[in-house]
Amino acid sequence: MYKVFLYTILIISYLGLAKALSPSEHGVQYLQNARSFSKIIKGSPSTAILIDTHATGFLIKTYYQKYRVISGYDNVEELIVRTSKEFAKKNMKHIGLSLYRKLDTTEEFIPLPPGSMYLGNREYGEWKTNKAGLTIWKFNKVFKNFPKYLGWGKFSPDMEFFQQMRSKASLNQAFYGLNNEFGPQGKITKKSFPHFFREERMKKVDMKTLLIEYFKENF
Amino acid sequence: MAEIFDRLVIRLLLAAFVCVMIYLYRYAHVIFYPSVKRQVLKKINPAENPADTLHLFARLVGISIIFSSITFNESSGFFLSLFHFAVWGTIAIILYLLSLYIIESIVFYNFDYTDEILKRKNMSYAFISFCHAIVTAYLTRTVMMEAENSLIILLVLWLYMLVIVGFSVKYYTFISRLTFNRLLIQKNLSLCFSYGGFILGAGFIIASCFDQEHYDITVYCIQVLLKTILSLIIFPLFKKGLVRIFPIRMGEDRPMEGQIDTEMQSLGYGFYEGCLFISGAILTTMIVNRIQFGTIYPFF
Repeated sequence: MYKVFLYTILIISYLGLAKALSPSEHGVQYLQNARSFSKIIKGSPSTAILIDTHATGFLIKTYYQKYRVISGYDNVEELIVRTSKEFAKKNMKHIGLSLYRKLDTTEEFIPLPPGSMYLGNREYGEWKTNKAGLTIWKFNKVFKNFPKYLGWGKFSPDMEFFQQMRSKASLNQAFYGLNNEFGPQGKITKKSFPHFFREERMKKVDMKTLLIEYFKENF
Repeated sequence: MAEIFDRLVIRLLLAAFVCVMIYLYRYAHVIFYPSVKRQVLKKINPAENPADTLHLFARLVGISIIFSSITFNESSGFFLSLFHFAVWGTIAIILYLLSLYIIESIVFYNFDYTDEILKRKNMSYAFISFCHAIVTAYLTRTVMMEAENSLIILLVLWLYMLVIVGFSVKYYTFISRLTFNRLLIQKNLSLCFSYGGFILGAGFIIASCFDQEHYDITVYCIQVLLKTILSLIIFPLFKKGLVRIFPIRMGEDRPMEGQIDTEMQSLGYGFYEGCLFISGAILTTMIVNRIQFGTIYPFF
């Protein structure tokens, strides 16, 4: 009994010391759920786009997410956070979408295409009708880099996109674009955030192939 | 050809210099063991007292192990490199003998060198002392290599190493069935093999804990402590596992001491325990040091 007690004390002290020293405890912040974004992302306006997600560990998994955070007028940074299993699993299908938006004191957590916070806001741009007769969103000159930051590429949201987005948002539903341009199946997301979609990460290797590759590499 | 010959001459000179340093060590040994003054300073007769021979030459092996960690850098000048060796060699000798003195004071607190080696010719004591000499030398060598020619870091790490070794020798009573003091008085060889295996294993583990990159001494010391605690967690698992895999049958007549059969069984048990300790320790170092978990960064 005495030995079991000592052994337990050893395990507890090891875990305590290791936790205090672990680099993941120091450098990476913890995001429990969408409500915790405001603790990590300060300032307004700001939007956080989920661009990658990853799990480490064998039996007990640790989940990480990578965000592109656009705040202020011209501030773009990448943020890696540790997150809960539930939040990570729930947002696996939201890659490429904006999961958090803050404008003044208003916060939104519905997964929407990146830049949805700025659409319709006259401080950032305006609706213009092009030669084809489509009403599309154009950012003001000050924000000319925003389409690049938001990963839009050549995409320009039109009025229908905007209305559909508002309608889905009012129903508390995620929106992936009129033709699912955004999200894990979206062409724009795949092009703008290719890291998550890299071939070696996507492919599922069966045991036979794994063994063949192992023997090729090692012998 | 001239360059090659020059290099050979340098090697020969350095070998002679190392011999001089070991000669100095012989006198330093007398400081800690004044009772052996007559034996050490005159010609040694190995047949007269094998236990004393083992005790003395274990230290010679130890000092050779430590000297092997000091490097000559001829490019910085022959005399400077000799001076460097002399300074660090002297520090090594002092630290080594101090470590041995402290560790033996902890382990042999009930025993006296003069009684056990010179009068009783206790081979068990001598063998345990031999293991101490080897382990202490190996650990001092590791610490000296980690210190990278910094005297302050060397002193900090050396003290730290002594504390860990001091605690680890006490761990023996927890994991061995053999009673240290009683069996050592009886000159029992099973004890020396069991304890020898234990202390060599502990030496492997502690040296592996110290063997890591360091940029900040505080973080390094905590990392060493963490690895030591982790080893304390892993080692009993291996020991239990190996005992389960290789179960032994203790003789029925074990309590009948003095019989040859019982002594043989006892000796066998000493080998058995010693081998378990060493193999368990080596496997522990593998689990503690050889698992690369990686980071998230290749993925992100």
